[in-house]
Amino acid sequence: MRVKNDTMHLAGVYTKMIFRSWFQYKVDAILRSLAVFCREATGILVIYFTLTKFDNLNGWNIYELLFLFSLLFVTYGILIIFFTGLRDFGGTVRNGGFDRYILRPRGLLFQLIFSNADWFAAVGHGGLGILLFLLSAGKVGVVWNGITIGYYIVTIIGGVLIQGAVFLFLATLNIYLLETNSIKELFYWNARKFAGYPISIFHKAIQFVMIYVVPFAFINYFPAQFLLRKEDMAQYPEVYMYLTPFVGVGMYLLAYLFWRKSIKHYKSSGN
Amino acid sequence: MSFIEVSNITKSFRVSRRSAGIPGMLANMVRPKFEERKAVKDVSFSIEKGEMVGFIGPNGAGKSTTIKMLAGILCPDKGSIVVNGYVPYRQRKAYVAGIGVVFGQKSQLQWDLPVIDSFELLKAIYRIPEEKYRKNLDRFLDMLDMGSFVNQPVRQLSLGQRMRADIVAALLHSPQIVFFDEPTIGVDVLGKETIREFIRELNAQDEVTMLFTTHDMQDIEKTCKRLIIIDKGAKMYDGTLQEIREKYGTSRQLVVEFGEEAVVPPMENVVITDIEDRKKSFVFDNAKVNINELMSHLLSRYNIRDLTVTEPEIESIIQRMYNGEV
Repeated sequence: MRVKNDTMHLAGVYTKMIFRSWFQYKVDAILRSLAVFCREATGILVIYFTLTKFDNLNGWNIYELLFLFSLLFVTYGILIIFFTGLRDFGGTVRNGGFDRYILRPRGLLFQLIFSNADWFAAVGHGGLGILLFLLSAGKVGVVWNGITIGYYIVTIIGGVLIQGAVFLFLATLNIYLLETNSIKELFYWNARKFAGYPISIFHKAIQFVMIYVVPFAFINYFPAQFLLRKEDMAQYPEVYMYLTPFVGVGMYLLAYLFWRKSIKHYKSSGN
Repeated sequence: MSFIEVSNITKSFRVSRRSAGIPGMLANMVRPKFEERKAVKDVSFSIEKGEMVGFIGPNGAGKSTTIKMLAGILCPDKGSIVVNGYVPYRQRKAYVAGIGVVFGQKSQLQWDLPVIDSFELLKAIYRIPEEKYRKNLDRFLDMLDMGSFVNQPVRQLSLGQRMRADIVAALLHSPQIVFFDEPTIGVDVLGKETIREFIRELNAQDEVTMLFTTHDMQDIEKTCKRLIIIDKGAKMYDGTLQEIREKYGTSRQLVVEFGEEAVVPPMENVVITDIEDRKKSFVFDNAKVNINELMSHLLSRYNIRDLTVTEPEIESIIQRMYNGEV
């Protein structure tokens, strides 16, 4: 129990440091949250106005689409608190910062996560996610009871883990390649662009990627199907609506094993 | 078994080798070619508890790689390292809790925050009890005269101040072993002196075992008794400074200022170099060349304004060792 308290204490000290660093530049800190919020919200507005011209997208109305987006933003908001250090891991390896983590008697992932948490961007992304949820949740015909709320929470955790696993996997690749930004661009950010829409509207190849390669479909599309029950779900196995937490935990474990193995490689090949 | 025992360690890196230009780049993408570069070759040494050892060599000699292996950041390809009963690259957490590392070129302080905030973070990371933290902090701040800037953000500090703060940061948890990688780089003369004085005191009072790399021979002369020289990854010398002086210190330098432009033909066993327009240096081995003969030879042939004879600086001896002359 003491060990646990001690770890929580350190996490607290790291968080305090991050806030104090940011508040050295107070205006920038606040503008940062706002800028992230506006950048992402603009994208949503474009979709909103486009959709008012069409009525629906493969059976999904505008509120259902906003609900789909809200899952993406809420999970990313939480993700960015915990996984910014992994997203920016390439730079940390290149500038020698990772060596310093190795020299401190604490878990490497723990240090990476808590010393880099980006709370301000999290407020921007998460705030937009919550706003979209509030706008849409009452208008998509979901009865919010114990089961649906429980399902929603588990889905959020699973969605964070899926993206966290992708970040961890890409971070680990840095140990071998030193520069992985273009791979990240290719797999993560491009997949995320598709993920705002019902995947049923895309070509089969894209659907395949979204389900089996970078499984964004399990972050929002399949969970939304459990809650909304749209007709296009018929083309996928029904069990997919229940797989999000398992995909999340499974992917994260695999990424973690890859990470552990690669730390050994770093020590034997480092620069 | 010594406190630090390094036996026959070897470390090589794979560096990508590609031909120039776009065709070379494309070829490299299809089939990357790698070249083995040996950074450290079969190096052994042992260090006793409380010893202070200088580790020197030219750029790229393998100093930093060796320090990184000792600190557990890298593991050797061959050979073994045992420090204080630990294998650094295997028992990471237990081992690093008892060592301190200063990288002169890479600060571990929080750039935007006052120095004291970084210290508080380290207190939490190393689980330093309040009382010990207070005691160490007060002592180090006093020794390094840091009271005036400990509450200033790191980004506002001078290089010398930042270096002192970085040294304290590596020592707050009372490590038994400290590795300094160029702790005086870029620091002015006065700052260097403060740092050396501090290192000496810490070694004498606390029996901290220290190993440090530097390019500044003054650092070594003023702090270490023992010296390890490596070049091209291999150990060239391991012994005291005194021994170096005795063994290789028979060379002398004669500096001559001529009254006019003078052309001096080459002489046997004497290295002649131009210093200024009318100033030349003659370096020779005292055992091989008679200094009286050399001087009268010069005096009889040239118009000479001034003459000085000097013993070699340790620096020039080492320089000659790198060049393979001794």
